[in-house]
Amino acid sequence: MDFSLSEERKMLQETVARFFENNYKDINKRSKYLEMNDGFSRDFWKESANLGIISGLVSPNFGGLGGSGEDISIIFELIGKSLCIEPFLSSGLLSSTVLSSIENPKTELINQIVDGELLISFAHMEMNNRYEDHFVETKAFLENDNWKLNGSKSFVINGDSADKVIISARIDGEINDKNGIGLFLVDNNQIKNRSYNTIDGYRAAELNFENIEAELLCKNDLALECIIKTNSAGALALSAEAIGIMQVCFELTLDYLKTRKQFGKSIGAFQSIQHRMVDMMLEIEQVRSAVMLASSTFETNSSTRDKNVSAAKNLVGRVGKLIAEESIQLHGGIAMTWEYSVAHYAKRLIMIDHLMGDADYHRDRFKLLSLN
Amino acid sequence: MNFEYSEKEEKFRSEVREWLKETLPEYLSEKVKKYQRLTKEDYELFMNNLSQKGWLAWHWPEEYGGTGWNAIEKHIFEEEIVKASAPRIVPFGVNMLGPVLIEFGSEEQKNYYLPRILNNEDWWAQGYSEPGAGSDLASLKTTAVDKGDYYLVNGQKTWTTLGHHADKIFCLVKTDLNVKPQLGISFLLIDMDSPGVEVKPIITLDGEHEVNEVWFTNVKVPKKNLVGKENEGWTYAKYLLTFERTGIAGVPNSKSALNHLKMVSRKSMKNGKPLIEDPMFSSEVAELEIDLLAMEIFNLRTVSAAAEGKAPGMESSLLKIKGTLVRQKTTELLRKALGPQALPYLPEQFDEGWNEMPIGPEYAGPIAKQYFNMRKISIYGGSNEIQKNIVAKASFGL
Repeated sequence: MDFSLSEERKMLQETVARFFENNYKDINKRSKYLEMNDGFSRDFWKESANLGIISGLVSPNFGGLGGSGEDISIIFELIGKSLCIEPFLSSGLLSSTVLSSIENPKTELINQIVDGELLISFAHMEMNNRYEDHFVETKAFLENDNWKLNGSKSFVINGDSADKVIISARIDGEINDKNGIGLFLVDNNQIKNRSYNTIDGYRAAELNFENIEAELLCKNDLALECIIKTNSAGALALSAEAIGIMQVCFELTLDYLKTRKQFGKSIGAFQSIQHRMVDMMLEIEQVRSAVMLASSTFETNSSTRDKNVSAAKNLVGRVGKLIAEESIQLHGGIAMTWEYSVAHYAKRLIMIDHLMGDADYHRDRFKLLSLN
Repeated sequence: MNFEYSEKEEKFRSEVREWLKETLPEYLSEKVKKYQRLTKEDYELFMNNLSQKGWLAWHWPEEYGGTGWNAIEKHIFEEEIVKASAPRIVPFGVNMLGPVLIEFGSEEQKNYYLPRILNNEDWWAQGYSEPGAGSDLASLKTTAVDKGDYYLVNGQKTWTTLGHHADKIFCLVKTDLNVKPQLGISFLLIDMDSPGVEVKPIITLDGEHEVNEVWFTNVKVPKKNLVGKENEGWTYAKYLLTFERTGIAGVPNSKSALNHLKMVSRKSMKNGKPLIEDPMFSSEVAELEIDLLAMEIFNLRTVSAAAEGKAPGMESSLLKIKGTLVRQKTTELLRKALGPQALPYLPEQFDEGWNEMPIGPEYAGPIAKQYFNMRKISIYGGSNEIQKNIVAKASFGL
């Protein structure tokens, strides 16, 4: 048994931590990045690429330097600590996972993503498919041997700035059939998009398209597998991101308890508050443990992978709510302000439960994989 | 990171497992599985076997006749004992007093008591809690007055687990009433057959006799039975309480309880279907399993740090809190799973050799009783609220 990180991973951790700290020191910088054209800083993204951080999310088999569950967790925990909004999830992880999991991997495109030259967003969610991996309404059809797509995709993170988009579409069957789904690669300039900011400070877009040209990446069993794997990768990354956020929430709250005085003493001197902090600390250790398990078994067979990822994401959903709400409550009024950072951490922590499957979704998936 | 056990550790596990298979009588594991009452002889049989094997003092260093196992090996040993449905190792002599004597006892005490513990000759009890001293242990009232070559002890201890079987008891007593409570406490070893010692049973809410009151009326205790120095007992008491307890989270017990819960909820029916197929109920089971899965890794992280020589600090407290909550939740869901089958209470069902028809399925008998019994675990060993105070004080700097 070995719970420590290898030397290479420690180095990765240090490099990424230092870089994020220097670029995301205060919450105002993040707000400025969000106000930029693309909803993030292109310079920061390019520099991340130069430092090899994006490549840390990609396996050496496809030109990356990492890509294991542990690499993903290390990088995303630090993303959480800084509340970084660059397209690490959409382009760096989700799209590169799809492109590397198909029969003929698109290594060249992956390399361009890793170099920070190309952005690809993963567009699976629709207005009404909630978190389901096989509920797909968007249609794909062949016209003179060319694939065409019709429909719309929702909540596509970085869907406005992406050069290309990976779209799930139904080739055959009913709306919720497991079979008959395809994954397609599309040039984003064909698509009308409506972009907006999410409540937790990301940029997303609604994509509407009619008879646009598409390249088939994979279909049927392989496509479904690909969607499930990509969702699991995303759920793991978000779980690790949540740890970083929870840690910051806890530290900010603890600091505040020491400085804020009421009734003539620091509010941290009250036992009722101390006990709530212990509950938070304990649950954060629980989440950390679950994420360690999920990341260390990420490369095993898919049912172990998905079971452990679901355990982690379910716990993140439950504990995330506790930490976000308690951080705000224990701060009091100051946490209700836009200006103070804890509010932004709390918002992201809550909204993580709305991405890649919430606590209920993952509890049910865990149930299927574990009870039967 | 790698959560697999090494080949050496797996070999150790199968050695323990094989040994238990060979030496643990089937009637005994059956009694444990059915939650039947264990006699003094049942406990002693298992502990004598361990003693002969050289595994009884599994927490002790090798030079004192212990196993010298590291934290991971201890963890494996504990897991296998639970899996085999063996009786628990009565901890008071071997796990609690032993380490205190090794650290603070005189040569004479070590030479006399340690071999007797190793050979399972004495049954020790713990004399800490008093009617007015629970979580606030230092406020204890039992006094030991210096009478030259002996102490005269007067007072009352309570919650003395299995004290009705005990030959000896280690006690915290007041030797100085004029100082801050923590500074006037001494650590005394007392023979239970001394004149003036009286044991009275306490019947707990589940109808069982496990704990006792122990009364001391003018009991003469020889001076040589003082451990360490007079008035420094609080240090030894704390050492005993924080002594490495790898098993504090009770992961193996909760895992076996969870399996039991799954079995029961497959057999219990709701609307003609197994209860486990009810989405609400199975959701509760699933989230409990997730909590336990996370806690198992949390526990292993702590165990593996301990194996590398890092003393577990607040982790022990956090694991105690979570461990007891998870364990209690399994008993709660088991109780819920039974529905009205939880109602019948046949105390005689838990006696050895009972062979009448149970009311409802046989597994239903002990479940409600066990639920009530398990309320104790978040109270004893430093209540969960005390654990939170400890963590807050040690790590928040408030």
